[in-house]
Amino acid sequence: MMRNQQVLLTDGSRVLIESLAMAGGDVFIGYPITPANLLYGYGQQRFPEFFPAPDEISALQWCCGYSAVGKLPVTATSFPGFALMLESLNMAFMMELSMIIILVQRLGPSTGSATVGSQGDLLLLQGAISGGYPLPVFCPADFQDCWELGRLAVEAAIRLRTPVVLLTSKEMMMTERSLSRSTLPIFETTEHSPQIHASLNSYPFTPDLTPPFAPVGNPHYPVRLNASTHDSSGLIRNSTPEAMKNTERLRDKIVMRMNEYACFDHDVDERSRTLLVTFGISHGAVRKAVEDLRDRKIYVDRLTMKTMLPIPWSVLEMMDRYSHVFVIEENITGTLKQIIFGSRKLPHVHSIGRIGRMIAPDEICAKVVSCLNPC
Amino acid sequence: MSQSLLATASFPYCPGCGHTVIAKALAWAVESIGYHPLDVIVVSDIGCCGLIDGLLNCHTIHGLHGRSVSLAQGVVMGMQTSDKKVIVVLGDGGATIGLQHLIMAARYNVEMTVILHNNLVYGMTGGQKSGLSPCCSTDIDDDYSDAVPPMDVCGLVELAGAAYIRRMYIDDDIESGLAEAIAVNGFALVEIIENCPSHGIRKVRELHGLEHKPIRVLKADRPAFRSKRRQTCSLLDSLEEMEKTEESELTGTVEVVIAGSAGEGVQTAAQLVGSAALRCGLHVAKKGEYPVTVAAGFSIAYLTLSTTPIHFQNIFNPDVALITSQDGMDKVIGLISEKTLVIREESLTFSRTGNEIRLPLRRLAGAKGSAFASLLFWCLKYQIIPLRAIQTVIEGHHHAEKLKLTLKMVGELLSEQAF
Repeated sequence: MMRNQQVLLTDGSRVLIESLAMAGGDVFIGYPITPANLLYGYGQQRFPEFFPAPDEISALQWCCGYSAVGKLPVTATSFPGFALMLESLNMAFMMELSMIIILVQRLGPSTGSATVGSQGDLLLLQGAISGGYPLPVFCPADFQDCWELGRLAVEAAIRLRTPVVLLTSKEMMMTERSLSRSTLPIFETTEHSPQIHASLNSYPFTPDLTPPFAPVGNPHYPVRLNASTHDSSGLIRNSTPEAMKNTERLRDKIVMRMNEYACFDHDVDERSRTLLVTFGISHGAVRKAVEDLRDRKIYVDRLTMKTMLPIPWSVLEMMDRYSHVFVIEENITGTLKQIIFGSRKLPHVHSIGRIGRMIAPDEICAKVVSCLNPC
Repeated sequence: MSQSLLATASFPYCPGCGHTVIAKALAWAVESIGYHPLDVIVVSDIGCCGLIDGLLNCHTIHGLHGRSVSLAQGVVMGMQTSDKKVIVVLGDGGATIGLQHLIMAARYNVEMTVILHNNLVYGMTGGQKSGLSPCCSTDIDDDYSDAVPPMDVCGLVELAGAAYIRRMYIDDDIESGLAEAIAVNGFALVEIIENCPSHGIRKVRELHGLEHKPIRVLKADRPAFRSKRRQTCSLLDSLEEMEKTEESELTGTVEVVIAGSAGEGVQTAAQLVGSAALRCGLHVAKKGEYPVTVAAGFSIAYLTLSTTPIHFQNIFNPDVALITSQDGMDKVIGLISEKTLVIREESLTFSRTGNEIRLPLRRLAGAKGSAFASLLFWCLKYQIIPLRAIQTVIEGHHHAEKLKLTLKMVGELLSEQAF
């Protein structure tokens, strides 16, 4: 059905919260922090339930409780709050509890500047789960992504039984833009329905490696959730072979199935041997820079990553096709570059980054031109 | 399945440990009230007492150190039913690190029973003192034992609003005490003072030399907390959808900076003009910048209007700067180049010749109206947004009357200039 072409002036927070509520989010639990404060306000308005937590540890513990009884919780924070959530996030991962955590990046380190955007938390997410286990992370590059990735994050969280992070930044969540509603497709809610199964084990092995979910409190059999090392019974175990097998499954279920959730935007010019890689709020500047460079007969490709972690294999394989790769991100340490290429200095891989303000298209063009034509 | 809560007669605790006594008493209490094991959810903390999961036939959640009460609160709020019983098992270490969660659950009067196993010591890690350890209760003493008293958790949760508070000794009738607590419709805490056979006070009889007084407080007048589920509406439906009804003279893209002070309507002015631009079929992006304070310091709005989609917005070299206060000017002065048209409050000190319009913005429109006045002046003078589009947007605003006055004042200013 065609919608009319009416246009809204909205911020990304509104679009993202609406998407998460439409997709099946049951409750918003949060502690206010800039620049996630619009999300908090919209969460209060839009979700069937809302709770103001007294701190971020409680926020995530309450989320875990909600998820344990079969409801999908959503929370939003920024680095200082996320740091407090980290232990509880590991618990949710270990217990295989579905939830959405929106992480709105701001300038760090530490408290940094609450009202200045940044892209500095990607490495934190890569190492968030003790042992290096993969935590699914999606990052919207525009408002259409806020809509689509909100839905996808809910689906991934429920289908894979895992916490999922939506990584974003102050500029995406607080800047207002014109948006045509006709560009936001209608989608179905992902049901978080309990799957009662014959096994008395809480974490039985299944072909897709994701145990069926049964809520705590169900009248059929006892469910056991455990933050400590456990086997399929859900009871605490030391490093028994069965417990280790269950722990390895936590990695395998994400790695094996995340190709179902691999999202990126690859803008290709067949004449190009140069790739500009970016994500999130730097996408707009890179898109503009690619247009400008092509106007100057400098042919470059663009890759905007949207599934950030675990990095899709197709993205890693793509890197081999290029003579030069530029990684553009709003930080000065090259976090995405490190995740893709490691810490080695590679002559064909270049970082473009800055802090304190967004990267400008002109800066990207200048660096690309100087690297490709050093004379 | 057996109706018994206990799944085993074998306990993992040290010989002589009070935890065994409490586990048996808990099973007796639950069964005496008539709960089916599947109607019970035990949330356990880290520490020796947290080994209880494997002993029970009910639902169990084994969480983090100190967070069991908070996790249990999430479970209770999520279930929205009173036919299940949530019981928290934690020690004095968990109560120390998670004290705020106890206070918060009591404050909400969430229906749960907290069994505080207070053996006066961190038993699992080797006998260190907890926040609930009295002087000389452990093998490992510190320099401050006499100066820092143990926390009175019962007193704290009572002040916070708990429905039931009980302090007992391990050799009291704890079966009856737990049964009474579990039957309470609200937040109930039972602190059980017990020995630790491996560290600290090892003998039960030595416990009675402590100053911990037995407590029993029942406040049945306060209803237990129940979460509510409500119907909500789409956030997008609550925004006004704009249809193109007017024409703009704008060609290409224009980047505008509105620089003023917090609390003087800078962001609102940019939103209003942005909405009017949508009525002209223009693409709009509007970013705000301000310090963390809410009503002090600068407030900057970056407004981009374009005939083509705006994929990137960050204004480094604005086409237009509208400056209404010193705060704003100090913030954006570095962005202004020769190409920038500056429209500014006339009282500000700013050395520039050409490409500049000085207006008595604050005198005519007041501090709170000056940003909107400057934007209106620019839009109308340069025919960026037609008057009708602005009037339509103003009409629907909750400060319509004030905005209309500003519009009238700007109209007069433009007429004077034209004349």
